[in-house]
Amino acid sequence: MPGSCHALVGENGAGKSTLGKILAGLCRPDEGHFEIDGVPRRFRSPLEAQRAGVGIVHQELSFCPNLTVAENICLSHLPNRVGRMNWPEVYRQARACLDEIGADCDVQEELGRLNTGQTQMVQIAAALATGARLLVMDEPTSSLSAAESRRLEELIGQLLQRGTTIIYVSHRMDEIFRLCDSVTVMRDGQHVATKSIAKTDETELIQLMIGRAWTKFFPKHLDRPIGAEQLRVESFSSPGKFSEVGFALHSGEVLGVAGLVGAGRSEMALGIFGLDANRTGRIFVKGSEVSIGSPREAMALGIGLVSEDRKSQGLVLGMSCGDNVTLCSLEHLSRCGIIRLPQERAVVADFFSKLRIKAASPQVPARVLSGGNQQKLVLAKWLARQCRILILDEPTRGVDVGAKAEIHQLIEELAADGYAILMISSELPEVLNLSNRVMVMRNGRVMQILNRVETTEERVMQLMAGRTGAGNTNRPTSVANN
Amino acid sequence: MTHDEMPLRISAPPARRKLIRFQETGLLGVIFALGLALTVFGGSLQIRQPGTGTVETVNKFLRADNLGMLANNASFFAIMAVGEAFVIITGGIDLSVGAIYCLSAVCGAMFLSYFGPGGAESGASPAWVVPAAILLCMGVGTLCGLLNGAGVVLFGIHPFVITLGTLAIYRGVAFVMTKAQAYTNFPSLFTDGLIRYQIVWNGHALYPVPLVIMICVTIFAGWYLKHTVTGRHVFAIGGNEQAALFSGLPVKRVKLKVYAFSGLTAGIAAIIMLGYYGSASSDAGTGYELGVIAAAVVGGASLVGGRGTAWGALLGALMIQMISNGIIILNIDQNYSQIIIGSVIILAVLWDRINTTLRERRMARSAQSARDSRQEISS
Repeated sequence: MPGSCHALVGENGAGKSTLGKILAGLCRPDEGHFEIDGVPRRFRSPLEAQRAGVGIVHQELSFCPNLTVAENICLSHLPNRVGRMNWPEVYRQARACLDEIGADCDVQEELGRLNTGQTQMVQIAAALATGARLLVMDEPTSSLSAAESRRLEELIGQLLQRGTTIIYVSHRMDEIFRLCDSVTVMRDGQHVATKSIAKTDETELIQLMIGRAWTKFFPKHLDRPIGAEQLRVESFSSPGKFSEVGFALHSGEVLGVAGLVGAGRSEMALGIFGLDANRTGRIFVKGSEVSIGSPREAMALGIGLVSEDRKSQGLVLGMSCGDNVTLCSLEHLSRCGIIRLPQERAVVADFFSKLRIKAASPQVPARVLSGGNQQKLVLAKWLARQCRILILDEPTRGVDVGAKAEIHQLIEELAADGYAILMISSELPEVLNLSNRVMVMRNGRVMQILNRVETTEERVMQLMAGRTGAGNTNRPTSVANN
Repeated sequence: MTHDEMPLRISAPPARRKLIRFQETGLLGVIFALGLALTVFGGSLQIRQPGTGTVETVNKFLRADNLGMLANNASFFAIMAVGEAFVIITGGIDLSVGAIYCLSAVCGAMFLSYFGPGGAESGASPAWVVPAAILLCMGVGTLCGLLNGAGVVLFGIHPFVITLGTLAIYRGVAFVMTKAQAYTNFPSLFTDGLIRYQIVWNGHALYPVPLVIMICVTIFAGWYLKHTVTGRHVFAIGGNEQAALFSGLPVKRVKLKVYAFSGLTAGIAAIIMLGYYGSASSDAGTGYELGVIAAAVVGGASLVGGRGTAWGALLGALMIQMISNGIIILNIDQNYSQIIIGSVIILAVLWDRINTTLRERRMARSAQSARDSRQEISS
């Protein structure tokens, strides 16, 4: 409907961004089609989508920061004469586009020098420059300050009045209620409900977003009393990423960390693991204060990190599975720097059977394994190094359902075995089922640490998204507001 | 659980070892085919036996002195290519090998001729001069390599740039030291007594020492890559540097080591060159870096990192040397040699890539089928 604003909401990984990408021709749907102006369409490339009048403003800013504002705006249709750039025309067009949305910034400036708010404006200008009548905005305010968000909202209002249709993807409830006319809830890649905004409220939306059938089961590690303190973090901060984070982790305990994308959870994990040079604060391992300047030092203290992105940070994909398992424990499996191959093979075989890793043989490259088995390899790598404190960042991301259950079981077994586990996850059922306690983070701060008995999905979700919502990464809302 | 029903196939022949063997048998096959072709098409040659004076017909390619010369010419490149392979496996590159080779040779040459028969200290006993010269060459090479490594690690500048700079610097130092003059007149214990140690076979003089050194270096490097912790780390860093860092590997130390090793191999090659030719000047080894990189790459080292072997580098050097030898034997116009060698490099790498793709596809399929069968059993 021209001039309307439709909100798309759902949890992390519900498929909102993917849907937006399909509309903009960046991804191809496996099946099905959509209609624009009553015509069924199926875009094969972003260019086709542009011609049909669909523009997208991405969540992560995806422009060439080394080019000027003008070039970025006109990138897909640079005015030229037989390949020679027509610079005055480029600048004139870009200026016109920016004027149209009332943004003021120098068109000859390099994009990388602008702040996020301005960059966002440039993105919108660029999308409109292609003649978009349908604009997909994927969490446009997630990296904006409050003032910038307000300006963006004004602009959206103007665009709507001019008859542009907007699909607005967001986590922020208050924005949705202010801006949008109708809302669609997605969950696990599926359409759940479409409602008129006047006929719904925040509570209902949250319930629709999380309301999958799940039963709270009782993992066996929860029966056992938690052991001694293994890791304690106090007033842990890093400018622009997280601030004043503090918690204690005990052996035999799973501490779940919930929060939206960008809440600073992974950044905090990297900070503990010695990969953030700017972090301040104190870390205690087994009660004594330590300084961790590199992953090597963290590892020596028995801390292992199963990082968010196993392909780029966890595994050497071209190396064999076995070599990946023993990658950081070779020092223990060697004498005078010479690897004891039989011993190494035994360790690999041991972990392959313990973690039930399915591969044709330990010698196949890690690349050919499925996501779940790759994740088990990363876990095996740290277990082989005898790390007793494990930080698991999204342990089941991109893993199929069967493997997910197996990984959950593994986490449970490890905790029962006395490992101390910090589990960051965007999947609420996972966090709520496996954790002894749940730490909720928002905008780089710990909102609250909830005990298992007092956690419900609604409670965690509210803490994650924040009732007032007008989030601002630079000036985080304080805990007192809740 | 599924693992009780499905015993792990650990006992199966390790696919990695098989893979390496396969990779190199391919190259070995090409070398044999090339040798065969040169034997058949190279024609024959009439030579007069130096001892008896009888004239006999020999094959142009397949005769002792040609093969010996081929091996010795290849040995400089092969030794450096092995060192280069280490650097390339970590995802780096060392353009300065030719210059390090030159600088170590010049240092060794100045030392040897100072203490040599015509030098200022001609009275010195060659029994300590020769080992000292050898250590000097190796030391200079290693030091130059360490400097490269330090530049890469400390400044975080791409190794291409660092070694492009040091390429010029090291050669410049060699120029300044020698004042563009050649140094000769080494103790004969070093030249004829060691590197040009001669064995006579069927009336032909053969020089086996460069060959032996080349093979020793390759065996050591091959063993090192496969059996040591650092060797494994070399592959891990090249395969995924970020993952290596996240796994707490001593990334910087390993990088220092590989550049130092590359320098060391250039020093060893310089020793052979000094002894074999008996002189050195500041233009030695000009343009060698490209030949060395080509040898490593033809031998299966991937410039993206994570892949490569020591034996492959040796065979790559041998193959390139054979082709230039073949061009002479087949009486092809010398001007074409560069075109031919260039094309061969590209073809070799292309062939290797196609092979790798096919192999991985096969492995993915077998992993998939293993998964499927397990799923059937478990369900």
